[in-house]
Amino acid sequence: MDSQAAAKFFRSLGSTWFSLICMGLTMLLVIAGTLAQANMGTFAAQARFFNSFFVSTHVGGFRLPVLPGGLTLAGLWLLSLSSSLITKFGFYRRNFGLLVTHCGIFILILGQLLTQLLAQESMMAIEKGQTGDYSESRRQIELAVTQNLPGEQEQLTSVPGSLLTPLRTIELPNLPFSIYVEQFFQNAQLKPGGAAGPNIIELPPTNDDDEIDNTAALLQIKEGAKIIGRFVVALALSQRQEFSVNGETYHIALRQKRYYLPFSLTLKNFTHEVYPGTDIPKNFASQVHLQNPTTGESRDALIYMNHPLRYAGMTFYQASYGKNDTLSIFQVVKNPAWVTPYLSCAIVTLGLVLQFSLTFFRTRQQSL
Amino acid sequence: MSKVIDLSKIATKLPLALVLLVILWLASSLRSEPQAGFDAASFAKIPVLSGGRIKPIDTVARTSLLMLSGKQTLRVDERSVSASAWLLDMLFQPDKADSYNVFRIDEPEVLGLIGIQQQTQTTFPFKTLAPFTAEIGKQADRAEMVESVNRSLFQTGVINLRNKLELYFRLQHSARPLVGQNAVKTLITFEEDLGTNEHSPQSAPQSSPEAQRRQAVLQQFQRSAGQAEFRPLPPPAPGAGWLPIAEGLSARLKYGKMPLGLLSFAQMADACRADSAADFNKAVSDYLSALTLNLPQVVSHAGSEEIFNRFEPFYKSMLIYVVVFLAVSLYWLFRSNVLNRSAFALLLLAFAVHTSGLFLRIVLQGRPPVTNLYSSAVFVGWGAVCLGILLEWIFRTGVGSAVAAAVGFITLIIAHHLALQGDTMEMMRAVLDSNFWLATHVVCITIGYSSMFISGAVGIVYLVRRAFDLGWSDEAQSVLSRMVYGIVCFSAVFTFVGTVLGGIWADQSWGRFWGWDPKENGAMLIVLWTIMILHARAGKIAGEKGVMMMAVCGNIITAGAWFGVNMLNVGLHSYGYMDKAFDWLVIFVCSQLLIMALGFVPERALRLARLRTARSS
Repeated sequence: MDSQAAAKFFRSLGSTWFSLICMGLTMLLVIAGTLAQANMGTFAAQARFFNSFFVSTHVGGFRLPVLPGGLTLAGLWLLSLSSSLITKFGFYRRNFGLLVTHCGIFILILGQLLTQLLAQESMMAIEKGQTGDYSESRRQIELAVTQNLPGEQEQLTSVPGSLLTPLRTIELPNLPFSIYVEQFFQNAQLKPGGAAGPNIIELPPTNDDDEIDNTAALLQIKEGAKIIGRFVVALALSQRQEFSVNGETYHIALRQKRYYLPFSLTLKNFTHEVYPGTDIPKNFASQVHLQNPTTGESRDALIYMNHPLRYAGMTFYQASYGKNDTLSIFQVVKNPAWVTPYLSCAIVTLGLVLQFSLTFFRTRQQSL
Repeated sequence: MSKVIDLSKIATKLPLALVLLVILWLASSLRSEPQAGFDAASFAKIPVLSGGRIKPIDTVARTSLLMLSGKQTLRVDERSVSASAWLLDMLFQPDKADSYNVFRIDEPEVLGLIGIQQQTQTTFPFKTLAPFTAEIGKQADRAEMVESVNRSLFQTGVINLRNKLELYFRLQHSARPLVGQNAVKTLITFEEDLGTNEHSPQSAPQSSPEAQRRQAVLQQFQRSAGQAEFRPLPPPAPGAGWLPIAEGLSARLKYGKMPLGLLSFAQMADACRADSAADFNKAVSDYLSALTLNLPQVVSHAGSEEIFNRFEPFYKSMLIYVVVFLAVSLYWLFRSNVLNRSAFALLLLAFAVHTSGLFLRIVLQGRPPVTNLYSSAVFVGWGAVCLGILLEWIFRTGVGSAVAAAVGFITLIIAHHLALQGDTMEMMRAVLDSNFWLATHVVCITIGYSSMFISGAVGIVYLVRRAFDLGWSDEAQSVLSRMVYGIVCFSAVFTFVGTVLGGIWADQSWGRFWGWDPKENGAMLIVLWTIMILHARAGKIAGEKGVMMMAVCGNIITAGAWFGVNMLNVGLHSYGYMDKAFDWLVIFVCSQLLIMALGFVPERALRLARLRTARSS
């Protein structure tokens, strides 16, 4: 009885109906998410619709889930594909091509899920003649607590921005003090004249794709119950602030999360060509010098449109520029699942070719 | 004895006769009439640099006139004047040109700004606008502070008008230094003054009257520097670029000789001033000969583009598609086979013209066929006609020709309106500058669009014939059903491969395969829809009629993915024409929904209606 019910359930998961439901829901989600982008900006729309489990709306104080989000739908797709692969296709020679195609789609969706979880995108802005050895996340922030060490070194303790919730105490291991978050705002404006520094005035999060929220917080540095100091930190306040505990000097600043690289890039030259008589960009190119103290590598590389630098599992793309062509901005991407779309495309194409050939030769045989 | 004229024998020759007639018509447009007076046709062939690429003056003239007035020709005193002839007056007789009606203004509030009540006249001369240029500029600045999505009709209109005025200004300033004086004499005097200086180095160079005169002329020229719309002077030395006339004398000082073309243009300017057609024509032909000696490839390339402009292949094939559709309609009315064959023959001819246009574009631009929205419209039409021809070849019911002609015509009309935005062969921005991906990803997706529209068109044929009992039979249903199934399979493959290739391009360019960009999402919707049709059909969830309705819905989704996403203004500029385009998109969607609704009329009701009409007839 149980196995029969299980088999029936499995078959319905692999049924055409279920696959149509998955597709239909995906179409609805994509339409809703695309329309929402115009209002709330790309990042917020993506977070709400595609990187979530459910899309909810607020009804009378309750969060009512309205649509399955991108992550849930991806899971449903994988379920539908795997069930249909087992129950519908088997290894029938008739539909072998389609079976291969569906395997390819499975890999594509799985790959995109993995990309969602594992990929790391950041930006690196280097001025001409300067060297950079870290990249910055566009959306993630960190509270950087640094302590000077002998020999021009620093000890960095990075507190992820996600831990900064109001009225929360953050214990710092290895450090003799803790941080208490009095206030925290995703986006804020700073006005002069508060007790611990500027006044923080909350703003709604920006929905402009080209702007970043000016995240701000009012913190207390506490040694036990004693308050050492109150500081206002914000992304707009790039200058770090100093305090002392037990004779040791520390610095604190809120900044975009940094990923330190085991090598450095020096920007030797940046060129920006336009078509003569216009300002339509023809090419951007950066000449960089790569230096890796661990492996001893020291070489020049050219990064330009459609030609990134691939090194140490990361890829550096020419993304943007500024400061009158003296600043070059790279997009740094680390994605272990990068190969899945290529693999999937090849497999799906193979499957379609197989299916077409099988059908073609079968009809030829029948007509003979 | 009376001779029996075998009508049927004559009738079978009809397809051939029609084809020959159309070919004659096409050939006649290629002939350039020998012009009495000023040879604007030869002037049109002169290559210049504009918008970053070398093109004939003809393209500059046509594109500019199109952007200002919406047309490629101008009516002056009941005569039709070509774009090049208009540009000739703009450059060398600007006062005369200022009275031509070239500025098209549609918005009544903008007309009110310049003190005109709305009337039948829609295009106005610069003379009418001249007293208000400062005010227009001020209003446009104010309008630009508002986000493009939120602008009112007036604000968009006044910004467009200001842009048109700027284009007009830049065109006239392209030859400004040569106008209003004896240009050739000025250049010769300049040359002589330089000679004096070189031969007598003892005299203080700054204070001599020759030096002062030379300096004054140089300044007069340079005043227009940076304000030219195009650069007519070829590179004076290897490594240098094309120069505007304003920098002609600076080049003389820098490179030691008068740049090629400066004297020729001066001669043209003087000839126009003196109203001497003979002198003008001589100057033009001498210059073209000199250029052919120095830069033969540039001249032949520009010449080819001028012929392409004159031929207007897309406009011509658009007209022939109309005739094809009429012929098929007549075939369905009168059931005369000769009409179907005529329609098919004309369709093949129109397709040949359409193809030649695309081929010329590829050769002239040095790029794969689809590089911008305009060329995507032309290519969607081409792909759709290709598929329609295939359908007609296999099934021979006239449906193939009809859908080919309909989709071909509609897409070319869309293309025609997109051409109003500027040079359709504009340069590609850096990130899109990859011939490989343009040839693979973009072409695949565009073919996918073509096939979706063709399957939708066949779906429309099915639903309309079913609802109004037009030749409705089991055989007709079977034929249409097989057509749609085949094309939807084709669509599924091409849209999927095209979308994935787009993702791979993005991965190669900036490291992200999928970014949930509206254009990507639109493509994904099309892929999902084709897959849904195939799954619904395979799982017997949608019957024959259901598949047809889904195919027609595919038209809506494809139109949305192609144009709708551009209208969302997510990180894109707002184009003035998009307001009108949005209205048309809404009308299109409603029309498709109405046709889909025909599918919901139950079989029983249709049968009753048929019986009733049969009884009453």
